[in-house]
Amino acid sequence: MPEPTDNRSGLLCVGLNYKTTPVEVRERLAFPEAQVPQAVQQVRGLPGFEECVVLSTCNRVEIYAAHTLTSGDHGHAVMRDYLVEHFKLQPEHAEALVLYNLDAAEAARHLFRVVSGLDSMVLGETEIFGQVKAAYKLALDSGATSRTLNKLFQQAFTVGKKVRNETTIQRGSTSVGSVAVDLAEKVHDLKECRVMLVGAGEMSRTCAQSLLSRGAKSIIVSNRSYDKAVELAAEMSGVAMKFDEWENALHEVDVIISSTSAPHFVIKPEQVDQVMRKRRWQPLLIIDIAVPRDVDPAVNDIEGVYLYDIDALQAIADDGRRERERQLAACERIIEEQLERFGFLNPSVS
Amino acid sequence: MNPSQQLLACATFVFVGAIVQALLALKSGAWKQTRGQFLLMALGFALQTGFIYLRGQEVRQCPIRSLPDILVFIAWSVVLLYFLVGSAYRLSLLGLFTAPLVTIMQVMALMNGFASYPPKGPISALMELHIALALIAYAAFALACITGVMYLVQERMLKRHHIGDLFYQLPPIQGLSHAIQRLVRLGLLLLSIALGISFNLYLPMTKTGHVVFAWTVWGLYAVIAFLIWKHFTSPRRTAWLAVIGFILPFISLWIVTHA
Repeated sequence: MPEPTDNRSGLLCVGLNYKTTPVEVRERLAFPEAQVPQAVQQVRGLPGFEECVVLSTCNRVEIYAAHTLTSGDHGHAVMRDYLVEHFKLQPEHAEALVLYNLDAAEAARHLFRVVSGLDSMVLGETEIFGQVKAAYKLALDSGATSRTLNKLFQQAFTVGKKVRNETTIQRGSTSVGSVAVDLAEKVHDLKECRVMLVGAGEMSRTCAQSLLSRGAKSIIVSNRSYDKAVELAAEMSGVAMKFDEWENALHEVDVIISSTSAPHFVIKPEQVDQVMRKRRWQPLLIIDIAVPRDVDPAVNDIEGVYLYDIDALQAIADDGRRERERQLAACERIIEEQLERFGFLNPSVS
Repeated sequence: MNPSQQLLACATFVFVGAIVQALLALKSGAWKQTRGQFLLMALGFALQTGFIYLRGQEVRQCPIRSLPDILVFIAWSVVLLYFLVGSAYRLSLLGLFTAPLVTIMQVMALMNGFASYPPKGPISALMELHIALALIAYAAFALACITGVMYLVQERMLKRHHIGDLFYQLPPIQGLSHAIQRLVRLGLLLLSIALGISFNLYLPMTKTGHVVFAWTVWGLYAVIAFLIWKHFTSPRRTAWLAVIGFILPFISLWIVTHA
């Protein structure tokens, strides 16, 4: 049994997130990374405050602190005043500011949920784990943490790992872009994957960016407006191709993302069938996100070709979301067990 | 049941355990985090090795002269190749697909029983090498068959848009396709060496059937390898060939051992 955290009753969390506060207010209250070390020192300098970690992401701003004040409410009020003063909020904005004020076990539970991705906009996302780690490291390096917060954050990381290891909360894809990446990974080695965009719509750009961020090798952009193709290709360090030439590159690419506004099929079975032998039967993934569809559904009948239209992608993303929601209860159970194990639910320990 | 057979029975139970454990891990979605599968396969392999050692002591020669012994030797080689190939190609779940085949082979061997061999004359190292290489080649073909099944499962899920737990755990189909090709080539190479050695052996007329069947198997896989090399066939058809093709060497074992 780990040693109980010191000063557990003096632990608090004050914050706001995407559920409580609209983005136009959140952006006003965000701490730029360079200012976080100064901010944690400022909080530590407040009377009664000993330790502090500031977590500031696009979806949340939270201050975790250990204090020696006699009442938690007093601590929350001090934190609120600090935020109002730090960000120089106008009285009407300060008045409208909605913060959540959590103490001891509630604060720990909240941090455990945040680290596990349960409080994220995309349930179960893993990026938040790294963001919390970075926030903690900034505070640690600034000398703003001591026994209480060091223990709390180490416990939070343990809980976050446990939740991910023992449930499937991060399994599956919840957006069309991530489904496209998952599919590409199950067809090819992404590092060797060459992508072609046929049409330069916003959704295809998002999918392509997801693939590139996960290591796709190269990108070709073909669009009716060649200038737009050149612009998008430059943005993604790819190659632009005239629209009447895209067929010539069919044998060179592994993933095609199609999103033209053509009212008829742009990619037909005979075009793909011909090229498969030339491709030496390398599998071809085609993502058709156009409505009306760009790719004749009969293309999926060709050996080695895997066609997914927007409805198929959306259905997979919906399944992913449902699966994550099903895992929620198991995740909450793990968090409660860990709160118990670390002594947060047993007042006599602290 | 003598001590060697007890070891084999234990190995078989361990492989059954590996199947159950893998299925449970898949169902719970915690597959990636479990090392149990690897440990169970390693334990099964150690018990198989123990069996082959004790059996060798009993018959005072390499125990590859009767069908049950050959089945166990191939099962052992399949697990050995699983450790070599599975890690080399990062073929997660290969153990789940390997364990059932190994279990079936060992159950068949145990049901057949292990008779003692007739006394053996002077040991011919070339003969032992010929047989061992041929059996390891068969194991490579068995693993190509298993990988072929994995390919066909993954391919079907991709085509039908059935994206479930198994989908996320199976490797990319391109990786599976490459693994099949390499395993076919590896098996063919080993069998070629084994058959090459047979030219230097004096084989009695009763063994002619063995060599004919071995050459038939070699011919089949040579054709598959040629089709792969020339890209005459799609990966899906290659996977089917690897799966169905293994039936021939599997049947030939009966014929060879009962001739």
